[in-house]
Amino acid sequence: MTLSSTATADRIYATGLRNQWHPVVPSRFVAPGAMRKVTALGEQWLLFRRSDGTLSMLADRCPHRGAPLSLGRHLGDRVACWYHGVEVGTDGTVTSVPGLPGCNLEGKKLVTSLPVREVGGAVLAWFGDEEHPEPAELTLPDPLTDPAVDAFLCYAEWEVPWRYAVENLLDPMHGAFLHHESHTMFAGDTTAKFRIRETDRGYFFEKTDQRGVNFDWVELCRTGVDWVDLSIPYPPSAGPGGPFGIVGMVCPVDEQRSGVFFWRYRRVEDWQRASWRFLYKTLIEERHWEVLEQDRVMLEAMPADADQRENLYQHDLGVVRLRRLYRAEAEAQSSAGA
Amino acid sequence: MTDTWPYLDVHQSRTHEPTPYEYRLAATLEQVFAQEGHELADVVRGLNARAVHTADGTPWTEESFRAEMNRLGD
Ligand code: FES
Ligand SMILES: [Fe+2]
Repeated sequence: MTLSSTATADRIYATGLRNQWHPVVPSRFVAPGAMRKVTALGEQWLLFRRSDGTLSMLADRCPHRGAPLSLGRHLGDRVACWYHGVEVGTDGTVTSVPGLPGCNLEGKKLVTSLPVREVGGAVLAWFGDEEHPEPAELTLPDPLTDPAVDAFLCYAEWEVPWRYAVENLLDPMHGAFLHHESHTMFAGDTTAKFRIRETDRGYFFEKTDQRGVNFDWVELCRTGVDWVDLSIPYPPSAGPGGPFGIVGMVCPVDEQRSGVFFWRYRRVEDWQRASWRFLYKTLIEERHWEVLEQDRVMLEAMPADADQRENLYQHDLGVVRLRRLYRAEAEAQSSAGA
Repeated sequence: MTDTWPYLDVHQSRTHEPTPYEYRLAATLEQVFAQEGHELADVVRGLNARAVHTADGTPWTEESFRAEMNRLGD
């Protein structure tokens, strides 16, 4: 069950853009020698890890009669369907039909297998449609590859359409209100003027009159995977190293649900790095979590047709731009298959 | 590892529940950063002035503080 290139634009917009990389779940969700069923872009998948750590991702659908492979058995380098025992290798090839040896299913690649990469503790997969099985180039977020930067991944599952989760990140002004009672975003003006600044990988949406006080800017980056970069000041109690940054990504799980990935990062080295990590694990992570819960509570309470009946103003330009971009891409992806 | 939706786990970076010693050290460290400054010397002086000492009860030195942070921050 590969992603269909004939899906409508509405379906693509609702379940996630194809032909790009998306995060799926944290790497630690699939131990060596284990499998895990996941939903992404409205489809069921199976993550399968060999004992040597090699990860693969298969459509969770037996090529015989469609039973979920995730109910089957991990055989080291292949999975055996529980229903009639058909065995599928990690590249999607049927390796054995135990009930009928020599059956012509054997040796055929009948199960979709998505290219995967593991980045900063998360599984990323290439969700190509039927016409684009080969992955496009992936440029990783620079804060996750810079050795002078240290990051912790925080992952959470929200009952929220993926677009709302991304739109929330392109809406810095909510920081001064929704997060006013927080350890990091209590300061800053409640009025602001914003502008959009184009970059070669996306755009900045930023305040023109304040920087480094609250959640004052965000950059949308489209580098094979969609991610945002932003920065939020820490109080002096968090020690040296300046503000902390967030690399954010969203997994479109299905029409209603999202997996959100936030790498909280800081430019710190040596004892400063170690003391930040110690404080983060002991005290700060929990405070960050409370802030994230404010977002979840608000977004989960938004009506399903929230984006159909709005009255937007200047602070929403970043969101408007995002929607236009995603909508156009969904249209293009649907007509590409027509 | 739970398979149930939704996954909402406050603590994803910890390997263990911090000990009382770790909680006390962290809370004092925040105070010191806020009140004394961000240099290593400030921190060591601030911790010692607050009588929050190493696990074996001796005053901090820059070396012992660095080593303890490397242990606890890893
Ligand atoms: S459905 Fe899987 S072996 Fe028959
Ligand atoms: Fe927020």
